[in-house]
Amino acid sequence: MAAVAPSRYTRPAPPPARARWRRDGWGSTAIGTVLVLLYLFPVFWMVSTSLKSQADIFADPPKIFPSPVDFGAYREAVIDNPAVLRAIRSSLIVSLGTMALTVVLAAPAAYALARLRLRGGSLVVLLLLITQLLPSIVIAGPLFVVFSDLGLVNSYPALILADATITLPFAVIILRPFFLSVPRELEAAAQVDGSSGFGAFWGIVLPLVRPGLITVAVFAFLFTWGEFVFALSLNVNEDIQPITVALNKFIGQYGTQWNNLMAVATTVALPIIAVFAGLQRFVVGGLTSGATKE
Amino acid sequence: MARSLTQTGTGPLVRPSRGIGLGRLRGLGGYLYVIPALAYIALTMLYPVYENLRMSVHDVNVRTFLAGDWPFVGLDNYRTLVDDPVFRKALSVSLIFTGGSLLVQFTLGFALALFFVRPFPGNGLLRALLLLAWMLPTVVSGSLFRWSLDGDYGIVNAGLEAVGLLDSGRFWLIDPDTALLGTIIANIWVGIPFNMVLLLAGLQNIPATLYEAASVDGANAWQRFRSLTLPLMRPVALSVLLLGLIYTFKVFDLIYVMTGGGPVDATSVLPIYTYQLSFEFFRFGQGAAAATLLLIGLVGFAIAYLWLSRREEIA
Repeated sequence: MAAVAPSRYTRPAPPPARARWRRDGWGSTAIGTVLVLLYLFPVFWMVSTSLKSQADIFADPPKIFPSPVDFGAYREAVIDNPAVLRAIRSSLIVSLGTMALTVVLAAPAAYALARLRLRGGSLVVLLLLITQLLPSIVIAGPLFVVFSDLGLVNSYPALILADATITLPFAVIILRPFFLSVPRELEAAAQVDGSSGFGAFWGIVLPLVRPGLITVAVFAFLFTWGEFVFALSLNVNEDIQPITVALNKFIGQYGTQWNNLMAVATTVALPIIAVFAGLQRFVVGGLTSGATKE
Repeated sequence: MARSLTQTGTGPLVRPSRGIGLGRLRGLGGYLYVIPALAYIALTMLYPVYENLRMSVHDVNVRTFLAGDWPFVGLDNYRTLVDDPVFRKALSVSLIFTGGSLLVQFTLGFALALFFVRPFPGNGLLRALLLLAWMLPTVVSGSLFRWSLDGDYGIVNAGLEAVGLLDSGRFWLIDPDTALLGTIIANIWVGIPFNMVLLLAGLQNIPATLYEAASVDGANAWQRFRSLTLPLMRPVALSVLLLGLIYTFKVFDLIYVMTGGGPVDATSVLPIYTYQLSFEFFRFGQGAAAATLLLIGLVGFAIAYLWLSRREEIA
């Protein structure tokens, strides 16, 4: 540590810790709030635009806040638009399906990798990390060929099967540390009491890792809700087209009706915002614990 | 039913107490938990990668695809690609997009991490709000940036005109000179929280006592940053940069939504080019070859990542 300056013993004593904390703390809160508001301005602008009338989007200088607030864009582009309603339904079906498939496959795998000291277990974890490298676009082409052979192109199962390729490895990696944190003695006790290995997993361990399961389920849902590449390349049927593809189509279709486009965009963002607000501690906690443990 | 999952052997029902109960699962039975997930990965990820390789050495176009008979062409698809000026352009566009995005989002993410590593009231909530932007579907971010960068009524032009930096409307995404910049700006915005969260985790792992000791020795804030934070963050910073490289190199949807790769291929990165070959021109063989090259690049980055992280562990 040669670069550290030689010590000076004549420094004035620092102000009392509490006073300093208070001053620094609230100053940082103010700066942080400004930074976050600046950063989130695009999101605010999206919502603001969606609540303006067609004439107000072209105001010069632009109106920062919508006045008067106009819900016309939501009525025209979302509520009275069967294409968007259908697309929302499709996205819900695909997202819930992917969520279920992901949890069902990931929970036992993560449990086994955390607990059962399998031969080649670390190799499996490495494989999971590597699969996260794969760009969707690389597997979309071959999946299209395989699904055509199976007659699955343009179907919900095709989208669910494809989307789970992204959510599954991530889910196992996130869940493993949750299983590692369950005390082994609990399972051992259950097994002494005559419950089978699977019984202990199902009845004792799974309820204990519920926060992890919720994190993974929420992540799978949110990811699939926003997924675009597979939705775009594995389906051309308008009836099962997810909302992301519908939104992309509107960009060309709506031309300068930016309020309509932003109304659809805000609708697509809404579940993310809602789930995020409601389950923030699961999502944020889960993501950061996964990020630091691996 | 459940019992049969684990009791595959013929051993006695009462086991020796070593490894109570869990030892039972150590046998073949344990694999039953992993096999469904592994089989799934093999079928939907490993097999497509193999299929992709196979297609890349066959002539797969609309005609041969429908006939189900793909003539073997060796490395012809790769040769066609390398000779294609559009492919070479895609490669350089990819490098500019990745390099530009990475540099700025890493720097800003690091600055934010340094800011948020200090405790202050509301810290957690503000950080969560930043992450919210990262969780937005890319199609949403893409369309809101498309609107913000609009030439006629976009807020970016309005802001620049208000402070006198711009005289007349600039059509950011329609002008081939600025379209790539526009997509890079959007991608930086999306990537900042990712960088911040990972770098913040790294900063939190540095023991506070080191800073206290340095302060006692009279080191000022800049000296503490130079001689403590920077060297100690090196391994984390390298990991974040390489992960960012991998994630940025495969960005597809943001650009697809904002510009579709245009104007005149100005924003056509490798993944966009790959998509166009396969799904717009239906030249599946060449698309597969482009996908393979993309994959080789990513695997290269990944090996560099593993090598670096191992070296850091030993050092």
